[in-house]
Amino acid sequence: MKILIVEDETKIGDYLKQGLSEAGFVTDLARNGLDGHHFAMTEPYDLIILDVMLPDVDGWRILQSLREAGRTVPVLFLTARDSVEDRVKGLELGADDYLVKPFAFAELLARVRTLLRRGATIATETTLKVADLELDLMRRRVIRNGQRITLTAKEFALLELLMRRQGEVLPRSLIASQVWDMNFDSDTNVIDVAIRRVRAKIDDDFDTRLIHTVRGMGYMLDVSDDN
Amino acid sequence: MTIEQQMRQPPSLTLRLTLLFAIAAAIVLTGFGWIIERSIERHFAIEDDAELESVAHAVSQTLANHDATSSPVALAQRFNDVLVGHHGTVLHISTPDGYTLFSSPGGPDLSSLNQTTFGNDTNDKIRHWSDAKHTYRVLTRRLEENTTTQRHYTMSVAVAINSHLRFLDHFRLTLWLMVASGTVLMGLMGWIAVRRGHAPLHTIITQIHRISANELNTRLSPETVPRELTDLANSFNDMLARMEEAFQRLSNFSADIAHELRTPVTSLLTQTQVALSQSRSNDEYREILYSNIEEYERMAQMIGDMLFLAKADNGQYQLNHTDVDLAKETRDLFEYYEAWAEERGVTLALHGKVTMPADRLMLRRVLSNLLSNAIRHTPSGNTVHVRLEQLSGETISISVENPGPAIPAEHIPRLFNRFHRVDASRHRSDEGAGLGLSIAKSIIDIHGGTIDVESTEDCTWFRVILHKRH
Repeated sequence: MKILIVEDETKIGDYLKQGLSEAGFVTDLARNGLDGHHFAMTEPYDLIILDVMLPDVDGWRILQSLREAGRTVPVLFLTARDSVEDRVKGLELGADDYLVKPFAFAELLARVRTLLRRGATIATETTLKVADLELDLMRRRVIRNGQRITLTAKEFALLELLMRRQGEVLPRSLIASQVWDMNFDSDTNVIDVAIRRVRAKIDDDFDTRLIHTVRGMGYMLDVSDDN
Repeated sequence: MTIEQQMRQPPSLTLRLTLLFAIAAAIVLTGFGWIIERSIERHFAIEDDAELESVAHAVSQTLANHDATSSPVALAQRFNDVLVGHHGTVLHISTPDGYTLFSSPGGPDLSSLNQTTFGNDTNDKIRHWSDAKHTYRVLTRRLEENTTTQRHYTMSVAVAINSHLRFLDHFRLTLWLMVASGTVLMGLMGWIAVRRGHAPLHTIITQIHRISANELNTRLSPETVPRELTDLANSFNDMLARMEEAFQRLSNFSADIAHELRTPVTSLLTQTQVALSQSRSNDEYREILYSNIEEYERMAQMIGDMLFLAKADNGQYQLNHTDVDLAKETRDLFEYYEAWAEERGVTLALHGKVTMPADRLMLRRVLSNLLSNAIRHTPSGNTVHVRLEQLSGETISISVENPGPAIPAEHIPRLFNRFHRVDASRHRSDEGAGLGLSIAKSIIDIHGGTIDVESTEDCTWFRVILHKRH
């Protein structure tokens, strides 16, 4: 998976590149609009992360050129101004998602993975399986190691999200928005409590723990237990 | 709006009023002039007609009384007698077949005037007629048949009106000169009057000029300006008051932001510098970075909240009104907070059911903030009650009630202020940035509702009132 980052702020650009590379992506970094425009128009990418406030050719222009040239590569734009007009403009020009600075890297990573997955065919699975944990989506049943576990509706939704995105770190804000439709930050530790409860039911009585806390970033469900 | 439109300033008031004065003066003076001129003209005409009539009458008498035997000379003598005393009057009498009975000697040839056709009902015709030297007013009359001579006569009596016309021409010239100079004079006086009338405006402008950002408490005194400007002065004072308040709030807010940011920045700086002062194990470094993340996240959230407030203050949010089922929203929020509340030993209860047109996401945020605040301050083993009530057809109330120790009275008025915390020593991570209630209030404000709080010894209520808008 190859990602182009167009970002003029040196530090942010470097860290985005490092972070995404370490997450297993191949990345190119353009530090100005002109290079960004050139890369975007000539190289094939799976995703472009575009800062819209660039000193020379701004992000909107790059986005516009891309779409006019008929390139459908997903674009995630970064903006420092959280104004409705900006968001609407970006989405109208054909961007696929946006993030407002300052954002958490975990959030960016989660969005990037969502966008990359969007193109792929959505599997219509009826069961999800990670190690010995099994989720029956039709009958809303959870089985671990042959034992039936009872979850509330929201706990089930939370577990489903973690399993569908196995191996990805999910920030709390993303969990709140996907499971409870809460699209604003809460100053409480509601998500931690909810995770703790799910964990108590599916992890506590078993040898291998599946739900991992990634400190400072969020939660992840995976078979590895190095955290 | 294009630049051209912006540049097109309306003409000055002075110019406008001066022009209006001049136009009004011109219309009035012209009207008067016209009436006077017409009157004089009419006066002359009546005078001339009286003269013509007296001559014509005498002539017709003479003609009626003369008989065929009178000699033409004698008749001419009698006509001359008639004309005596009527200076500048000329007479011409002829028969329809062109025979001239009498023509004033030395006078103009009026014979052509006798060849006229008369209207059906009249034997008279009055008109103006000129020869090379003079202008005359002429009465042409068809005379009744003389009983003895069996003849018809037509006569024309003409009186020279040159002097009248000269007088009128002269008078007209004088009159229009007067109208013109009167118009100019009135315009000038109008200009002076307007300038003088505007003096109080200039006084106000001077006063306004003196107000700077540091003196927003200055006010214009409405008693010292003319009555027409009292409203202006009052509106201006109101605007100043609003600006002063907003300015004050903004200054305080900036100071608060600076203060709130200084604390986490200081701790980050210190922590990082201490960490770098000697070499440490990987675990220690990791610990420091984690701790930094917590601090950063708090700052990011604070920035987000402050931006939200700033935008709400500036009216930059477009409310997306839909019918919001508040009971459903509350239940959703209960689901969200359930686990957390349960862990704290707090139960949640909902009473009532109302629907209200409002911005759903915004209202949800208000409820969420009030609810998390209530749960946080409820002692274990108690219940938070959310009551939804329809107060009238237009008005609803949402109250969030939690048992718990009273909020000290001195904090009540400042509870919704930004960054205000009841317990200053409470650790910040426990309570967020202190913006939750401010945000709730901002959202309710832009919905045109009210929010207030009441606290007794063992219970606290937050109450939101919303009105349906039309």
